[in-house]
Amino acid sequence: MSNATYETDTDPDTDGPAAVESRVGWRYTISQVKRDPTAVAGLVIVAFMTTVANIAFVDDVLFGFLGQYAFFANRGIEQFVLAETFWVNPEVDPGTNQILRPPVFMTNELYPEQPGTMAHPLGTDHRGRDVLVRLFYGTRIAITVGIVSTGIALVVGTVVGAVAGYYGGWVDDALMRASETLYAIPFLVLVIAFMTAFGRDLTFAMVGVGIATIPSFARLIRSRVLSVREEDYVEAARSAGVRDRNVIFRHVVPNSFAPVLVQATLQVGVNILIIAGLSFLGYGAQPPTASWGQMLNNSKEYMLPNPWFSIWPGIAILVTVVGFNLIGDGLRDALDPRINN
Amino acid sequence: MGRLRYTTVRLLQAIPVLLGVVTITFFLTDAIPGDPVQIMLGPSPSAQQADAIRAKFGLDQPLYVRYVNYLADVVRLDLGESIYYGVPVTQKIMERLPVTLFLLLSSFTFALCTAVPLGILSAKRRNEPTDHVSRIVALFGVSTPSFWIGLMLIIVFSFKLGWLPATNIVLPWADPASLDAVDPDASWLVARWQVVATSAKHLVLPMITLGTLQMAAFTRIERSSMLEVLGEEYVKLARAYGVSEFTIVRKHAFRNAQLPLLTLVGLQLTSALGGAVLTETVFSINGMGRLIITAINNQDFPLVMGTTLVFGLVFVIGVIITDLSYALVDPRVSFEGSE
Repeated sequence: MSNATYETDTDPDTDGPAAVESRVGWRYTISQVKRDPTAVAGLVIVAFMTTVANIAFVDDVLFGFLGQYAFFANRGIEQFVLAETFWVNPEVDPGTNQILRPPVFMTNELYPEQPGTMAHPLGTDHRGRDVLVRLFYGTRIAITVGIVSTGIALVVGTVVGAVAGYYGGWVDDALMRASETLYAIPFLVLVIAFMTAFGRDLTFAMVGVGIATIPSFARLIRSRVLSVREEDYVEAARSAGVRDRNVIFRHVVPNSFAPVLVQATLQVGVNILIIAGLSFLGYGAQPPTASWGQMLNNSKEYMLPNPWFSIWPGIAILVTVVGFNLIGDGLRDALDPRINN
Repeated sequence: MGRLRYTTVRLLQAIPVLLGVVTITFFLTDAIPGDPVQIMLGPSPSAQQADAIRAKFGLDQPLYVRYVNYLADVVRLDLGESIYYGVPVTQKIMERLPVTLFLLLSSFTFALCTAVPLGILSAKRRNEPTDHVSRIVALFGVSTPSFWIGLMLIIVFSFKLGWLPATNIVLPWADPASLDAVDPDASWLVARWQVVATSAKHLVLPMITLGTLQMAAFTRIERSSMLEVLGEEYVKLARAYGVSEFTIVRKHAFRNAQLPLLTLVGLQLTSALGGAVLTETVFSINGMGRLIITAINNQDFPLVMGTTLVFGLVFVIGVIITDLSYALVDPRVSFEGSE
């Protein structure tokens, strides 16, 4: 056993014992993350949620879009065809006799004649719709908004921060004052004002949250760029006559990117929380589309007759955000040389 | 440069930030579609009435004139009159601000009082069960929507157990006559005590709701900075001299580990102000957060502007207080050479 390990570890072309493992580069980072059981748990959670989100996306948006055309509609493709074939439609009210059922095996003090059934494992909402199926379809919203809003902040923040850090001087001052200003307004308030001005639906929630979180990325990448721009290879590229734009985006940014990637992973979780909060206040996905924040908003008035209805969406949010946080922490540990040593 | 001078300079530096806040909010609220006059006078006001209202709030003037006028008013500390409530904006803010500040301060106190011991304990017992538990608590704390914690607390402690009230906040300095819980025949001291007790009962759930996120974030940073400090040479030296672990933490490590935490406290203010909006909604508290939502929904321009400006001011002052407290923690920080 030990012999076999010895042989695989030894590189026949070198004299020394095992070849020294490279401690930089993506391959090393990924191998470090894979070794970290909590990060792997995070990956599993996020992979599961993303799969559910993709199925929901296909069933809701893609099939909904295709179903408008006779060619597909005649072949039975329409919105929620998967959900209806295998389960129940997440957006149609089945009737008042189904409302506020408790989870399976539970009874409800207020409606003892309506106990939980296997048909609705987690119970039903205030309009009789199945909570579990709505949780699944809400995944689509959560994952999309988390990733898209972070993407917006990441791209714009990287450009702003890199330009500010690379050029310094008045450009830096102006951009950093602007980002401080944006930071001084609580971003929930900023986003709500933004959405009231431009539109209350999900698109503007994503854009608004994206804009409001630009400063955190801009500041982070700026602080990295300040040290990277002094490196020899940047000086070399500059003296070789490479244009500023190419120096920034081919040399400076890639070498400043590691902490930004960690921040982005964690920010996806934070943005899911913020957008759940917005939906809870009524700003976000509009009914009947299922989103977790909006389910919690609906459940507010039924906490006494059916507390379960408010428990499940919160757990879904919690699990998803934990997933992103575990990956972010794992990435940080893998990328932080102080912890590696 | 003394502390006073430093504070003055920092306050002056805050002016461009506040100017930016006013500018962003001004143009953002202006972009909100709809007519505030309709909200005041109903769907079909007479033309005369509408014109009178427009003239009163300066809405008949072009945008840039209104902007300059507004800035001039702000400099004179006049935030205008609320369209929706019909009272001066400053009066409305003074009514609501104490509630929100009370909630914010108590939740930060709660967060710090739990996070600091938890973080230190976690760092001292690294990779032991205590550490794992506190890390899991912190991880769940940063991953849970605060308003959901509020809903869960209401279900358990108000509905099931009936221990604590689920709505509103009572300030500890409130007038005893305004509360039902206070016995009207009680002596002054007893009445005062009853007010404070009622206030505490109302405070617990919102405080935990708003404070959990900060608590978790503070615990994480306290743990990591404590771990870093405990690995320093001077700690090793102290250990070599046989100084007890408790004394090492108390006299050598504690202060040095607090700087990253302080920075985070200042930065968390902005997310806590946003969290206050949600907490106030869950517990039906009449504070600044719900005021600003009402104002935005009713296109009450002066009120939106005023409340956002006050939020910005609270944030700026919070950050300055954080910076000043660096000197209390770290004697090397002085305001002499700093700009």
